[in-house]
Parts: sequence; structure tokens; C-alpha cells
Amino acid sequence: MFVLVLLLVLAAGSASAQSAERVLAATLDNGLRVLLQEDHRSPIVSFQMWYRVGSRNETRGTTGIAHFLEHMMFKGTPTYGPGQFARLVEQNGGQDNAFTSQDVTSYYVNIAAGKIDLVIDLESDRMHNLTLDAKDIASEREVVIEERRTRTEDDPGGFLGEEVSSIAFKNHPYGAPIIGWMEEIKRITPAEIRAFYKTYYMPNNAILVAVGDFKAPEVLAKIRAKFGRIPKGATPPPVLAVEPPQNGERRVIVKKHAQLPIVYLGYHVPNQKSPDAFALEMLSTILSEGRASRLYKRLVYERQLALEAGGDYNYFSHDPSLFWFWGTPMPGQTPEAMEKALLAEMEALKSEPVTDEELQRARNQVEATFVFQEDSIHRRAGLLARFELIGSYADKDRFVEGLRAVTAADIQRVARSYFADDKKNVGILLPQP
Amino acid sequence: MMRWRRLGSVLLLLSLLLPASAGAAKPIAHREVLPNGIVLLVAERPAVPIVFVRAFARAGAVLDPPDRAGLANLTGALLTRGTAKHTGPQLDSAIEFVGGSLSAAAGRDGMTASLAVLKKDLGLGLDLLAEVVLTPTFPAEEVKRKTAQIQAAIKRSEEDPGTVAGRALAKLVFPNHPYGVPVEGTVESVGRLTRDDVVRFHATNVRPDTAIIAVVGAITVDDARREIEARFGGWKAPAEQPATTPPVSLGGPPRTETVEKELTQATIVLGRQAIRQTDPDYFPLAVASYVLGGGSASRLYSRVRDEGGLAYAVFSYVMPARYGASFTVSAQTRTAQVPKVIEIMREELARMTREPVSERELKLAKEYLIGSFPLRLDTSSKVADFVVAVEEQGLGLDYADRYKERVARVTAADVQRVAAKFFVPDSFDRVVVGAPKKP
Repeated sequence: MFVLVLLLVLAAGSASAQSAERVLAATLDNGLRVLLQEDHRSPIVSFQMWYRVGSRNETRGTTGIAHFLEHMMFKGTPTYGPGQFARLVEQNGGQDNAFTSQDVTSYYVNIAAGKIDLVIDLESDRMHNLTLDAKDIASEREVVIEERRTRTEDDPGGFLGEEVSSIAFKNHPYGAPIIGWMEEIKRITPAEIRAFYKTYYMPNNAILVAVGDFKAPEVLAKIRAKFGRIPKGATPPPVLAVEPPQNGERRVIVKKHAQLPIVYLGYHVPNQKSPDAFALEMLSTILSEGRASRLYKRLVYERQLALEAGGDYNYFSHDPSLFWFWGTPMPGQTPEAMEKALLAEMEALKSEPVTDEELQRARNQVEATFVFQEDSIHRRAGLLARFELIGSYADKDRFVEGLRAVTAADIQRVARSYFADDKKNVGILLPQP
Repeated sequence: MMRWRRLGSVLLLLSLLLPASAGAAKPIAHREVLPNGIVLLVAERPAVPIVFVRAFARAGAVLDPPDRAGLANLTGALLTRGTAKHTGPQLDSAIEFVGGSLSAAAGRDGMTASLAVLKKDLGLGLDLLAEVVLTPTFPAEEVKRKTAQIQAAIKRSEEDPGTVAGRALAKLVFPNHPYGVPVEGTVESVGRLTRDDVVRFHATNVRPDTAIIAVVGAITVDDARREIEARFGGWKAPAEQPATTPPVSLGGPPRTETVEKELTQATIVLGRQAIRQTDPDYFPLAVASYVLGGGSASRLYSRVRDEGGLAYAVFSYVMPARYGASFTVSAQTRTAQVPKVIEIMREELARMTREPVSERELKLAKEYLIGSFPLRLDTSSKVADFVVAVEEQGLGLDYADRYKERVARVTAADVQRVAAKFFVPDSFDRVVVGAPKKP
């Protein structure tokens, strides 16, 4: 659930009216997309590499390979051996991390602006020269397995979420967990990881974003000098899988050691390519953003039925994904009552338009979120990348306008279109002592 | 959904108290004491039109009466649930309608009400902030509701092995001090709390003479002073002296505890008391902890994760607070490998006491600790948390610079000397949360 909330924050986006103009955008001859934005408030830079590859690019039998490779990106090249990446970043006062999602794999280094040459060197090197030694793969496999234990096997919410996704998608790779099924994490071979790296890690499949205290033209020249040497690769194969329409309710009940039940509901919805996406995004804000939001106010506060409740939509999803609703019943309340209450809220969205106050509050929240995010160069860089991934970094402004234009009737219409009772995917966690 | 390579956010938060601030030239914030005793801290950050305000009161869980664990936490959670002028839902609507946020919560040492708001809405935001700090009404219905929610959250947190391990360890490390008791209390202790307890706790402990208000963002010092004085200037301290808590005392001999749970992975935590930033040995200790388990190049990360493939999360950290400090080493590993991981932890702790760290390790730790500070103060929200923390812990606004100097001076011999005091493996309490051993 933490993860869902995090996504909501990201999806709410960030863009001030003036920020888009100040981006220096370029595409190198080898296809690398570069976005640079100067921000001189602090002597630091956020340097981010976004590869257009995630769990959606995985095939049956290799679930988790994108995430596994992300781990291996820290295990060295012939120039910078195992552990060197982290050592050099830390020694220069920097912080780094990486994540894999369904659609992308992202790496960041936040560091003193004067150290940007080092980061350019490290990132260009590992884009092309990763060692991928079999022995390192073997030991990192155990680390990934431990990660899966922490996040899924021993986490009731993570475990249930995985089960619901897997029934909601019967064909599209979004049905598989990002971290991969345990059996396949154990099975994936070094040769498969090397082939995956070769297929997806190339300049023409990546976006480089940096925001911070530098002169953009100078940094662009440095990027050209280092990344420009990497040859363009063959265009990665497209993901062809299409999720067929859902023809009836699907339900999974998981019995697991836990303290409280959890209820998840997932509905197939379109992504940002659809004009309905703005209304779905606003709906998500109205449902879950803050204590005045609908689900918190009604289910947590007024009825005291839920310890937590919310809804979430991923506007940036590459392919159509799910609109999630979730709730954790209070002790003494049943998952049946929780599910019924969530469904009743959905019916209410269909039968009554949201109020003017709810709509205006959501607009104000979205716009304020944009301004707040301007305070962090890390977030600014991440949002440039997210918009670039779905079209152009400059679309941020279109996003704000689109959200602002959503009406109560739009929200009612999308609720009616997508939250059909026989198209729900339901997951229930029944706690076992 | 996202899968991160490393556990990061928790450590970043914890380390907030370690670092220093940028440049000696300009202090990180303006400081003054208002006539009624409030310490006002203002940091001007004009670039983005937002303002963050933290109102801190020395009203943390350390002041909970022994049979009333969770009282500060309940009181903090209720600040936003009704005031003389607004009901809880009205407060929620008012602040969220302008895209801002207003929240309040207690920790071990204090209670903080936090406001985040666009500059244009600062007047409204400060009005609401002043209301929740000065005139909360603690409606009986809200007390009942919040009590049930906290109890449910405590129950649910029993699912989280890290939380369970942390609670058990605190009890062992601070056996005779409120730091050993969970801030949120227990289901039973929270069930005993009454509205009267809450009203009294607020009236006694949320007071101007121990309060800190930090204003950070697009605002000048003069404007901040005027706005804060207009709302908090008439706030009067109660007659009785502020409550105090004794510093932590030494616990008994180290103990070991196992909490059995049906899990595929075990959480191992080793902990002991340590020292605060006011002790000169704190700086070598911070360096020692970083070498041992501070980053991705640390000894534990290398041996347990990179070489052994035994864990996803393995780390160590010093956590200083107002009345004491702790040092913790932690890892999560598959059930069968628990003995091996504990053995590596003990070996590496012992090695730090036995031999000096290498020049390369020392350099890396120092350069990271000194060099990364601008990253930890790069947003208004982080600056607000930092200035409140240094003021609250009595470190002074120049702590940033002193920290840098002190860390820079640390030698390998200092690290070994301090490790010999704090890293002796047998001096650690230990908790393991996980499945019982198979017969």
C-alpha cells in the first residue's frame, strides 16, 4: 500500500508554468535523449538514467529479469570493478539508488555539482560495458531472493497485491510481479541476463535527465563526449501482448499469517493515451488525497469501518493498467463489509456527480503538488523523465490543463464506463493466526 | 509499483541528525527568542512560493506517565481533530482546499505540528496551525475514534517484523527509561487513556517556554516574526515548571530475545546504548558506524550482501536523541542463515575493536559524511526538520560546521578507540524475529 501511495504522489506530477522553457533538450546521434535543467539554488545535481525497459518487457519464464539486471548494474565493469560504483559515489559525497517498475528502470545519483564528470563517466561506462560475471550473478540472485522475502513472502499487502495482478491480467505481462516469481528468479541464467542487457541497455533506449547547479551547454558537451561514443543499438522488440477484455468477475482469497484482513479491488482502465485519463486521475485525487478525501472521510472517519482506505491510478502507465481500490478493515469488521463499502462508494460515483467542493479541492491539490515538487531537484528531474517517457517533457503543461478541465460529469462518466460490477478483480486477505 | 535496489529512505531520515549544513559564511537559519520563550527559527528560501512551518513542543512520549504509555502519541494525533473554532473535518477541508497539509504527531522527545502551504495561503495555514497548537478541544467522540485507530494500527504493526524487532530491542537497550517503551504505547495502555489525561498532558507540556517554531521557505525573517507573534505572542506558560526526564541509565547485562513468527525470513537486530553529539567521541563513532554498516561500500554490506548473498538489507546506525542514544546493527536473512549472519556481525564488530580501519575506508566514510550534507538540506522540508532537531537537542545552529570539522579530524586510531568502547560484541542486546528453528 505504501507503494500505491508513492505512485499517487508521482502521478500528481510537478510542473510550474515557467519550468518547461528552461530545459535544454537534445538527442545524440546514437539516439540518447538528453534533458538538462539548470537550478542554482544548491551546489548539487540530480543525475538520472531512465531505461525504457521494465517487467512489461519480460517473457514467460524470465519474470524478474529486468529487476535482477538492475541489481547487476552495480556489480562492475572492466574499468570500474565490483563495488567501485558505490564506493566512488559515496567517496564523493553522493547518494545513489535505482528502481525497476513495470515500464522503466531508473538509476539516480544525487551529488555535489562539481562531481558531475564522475557520474557521466560511471553511467556511460555501465550502459555499455557491464561485466555480468556468472559468480556475481549467483550471489546477487540470493540478494534478490531475500528482497522478495521481505517485500512479498513476508508482507501480507505485497503478497495479496501480486495475487490480484496475476488474476487481473491473463495475457499482458503486467500480471507478473516486477520482482519476478520466486521459481523464476532462481531459474534465470547468466546468458539470459546478458542477452537482456544487450537488447535494452543502449543509448537509443534511454533518457538522461539532469537538474542542478551546472551550465547546461557545458554538461551537454561532456555527455556527448562520453555517451556519444556508445554505438546505437538495434531497436528493442515491441511488446505485442494485448490484454483481452475481461468477461466476468475474478476473485482470489489468500489465507496468510497476518493481523488484519485486506481488500483490493482492481478495474481495467485506459492509460494516458485516452482522453478519459484526466478524469481518472482527478477521480483518484478525490478518492484518496488527504483526510478530506472521499474514502478517508467516509470509510475511515465517519463509519470507522477501515483503518485505511484509498484508490489509485497510474496516469503514466505505458499500457492500460488497473485502477485500484483498497481498504484495511478495523478489528471486528469483516472483509465482506469492507468490500461492500468500497463497492457502495463506486456506485455512489456512478449515480451522483462529485460535488463542486470536491472537484475544486482536487484541482487545487494537484496544482499545489506541482509547486511543492519544484522544491526538490530530484523530483523535478524524475518528472521530466516521466513525461518524456510518455511523449514529451513539455507535456507537463498539457497535463495541468487537462486536469483543470475535468468536470463532475466526466468523472461520473468514467466511473460508469470502467467500474462495472462484473469486471472487477477482487483480492481478499484472510488473516491466519 | 516499484522495486528499489536498496532500502534507503529510512536511513536517510535517521541520518538527518548526523550531517552538517552548507558553508560557514551564512548561518542556516535566523534564531531569536520571543518574549514568551518561543525559539523562532527562520530560513529564507525564496525560489519556490511555498512555506513549511514546524511547531515543536517538548511533549514527547518520554513524559508519558508509566501506566499511560501512548499518551503523548494520542494527544499529538488529536491536535488536528477539533479546535475552539473548527471541527476536525472542517480543519481537514480548510487546509486541503488550498492544497496544503496540516498534521501533528508525537515522537520520543517532542510533539510537532507541521504545516505545508503555498505562500499565498500562509495566513490561513498559520491561523489553523495556531488553533491546533493552542486551542485543541479534544472532543470525546474524537478521543474514542482515535484511540480505536491507534489500537488497530498497533495490532497491524505486529505484522511488520522490523517494527516488532525494534520494539523488543528498545525494551532491552533502555530497560529503565521511557525510551524502552513504544511511543504509540500498547493496545492495553492506550485503552486506559482518558480524555482528561489528554487535556492535562496538553495543558502541562505544550507550552511556549519549551517550544520551537521553524518557518522555512518563501518568507522574510521580519514577515515570519510578525506572523508568528501575531498568533503565538499571547501564548502563556503554565505556572508549574516544565516536566523533565532523567537521562538514560545503564541497563543490565546484555540480553537476547527471540520472537517467533511464521515468516520465511528472520530480522536480526543488535543494539546497545551509545552517545550523543555533545560527547566528543560521537564523531569517531559516526565514522566507525559508517565503515561498519553505513553504505554500499561498508564492511557488512560487502560481506553479508555483496559477497555472501545473505541479505537484501544490512546496515548499522547511531541514533542520538535528547536523553540518550543507541547504536544498532540490523539485517534480514533467510531463517537457515541466522547463525551465520549473527556470526559475521559479531566478527566485524570485533574486528573494528581489534585493528584500525584502513586509510581508504576512513577516507571514504569521512568524505561521504562531510560531502553529502548539501543533499540532506536541499529542500525546505528537510531544512525545517534539521533546524528544529539541532535546536531541540541543544547543538546550536553552527552544529553543521562543527560536525564537518570534527569528522574531518577523526583518525583511524580514534575509530579503533571508540569501537573498543562501543563495538564489543558481547555488549549488545540482541533480538531475532522469525520462524522457530526446525527440530
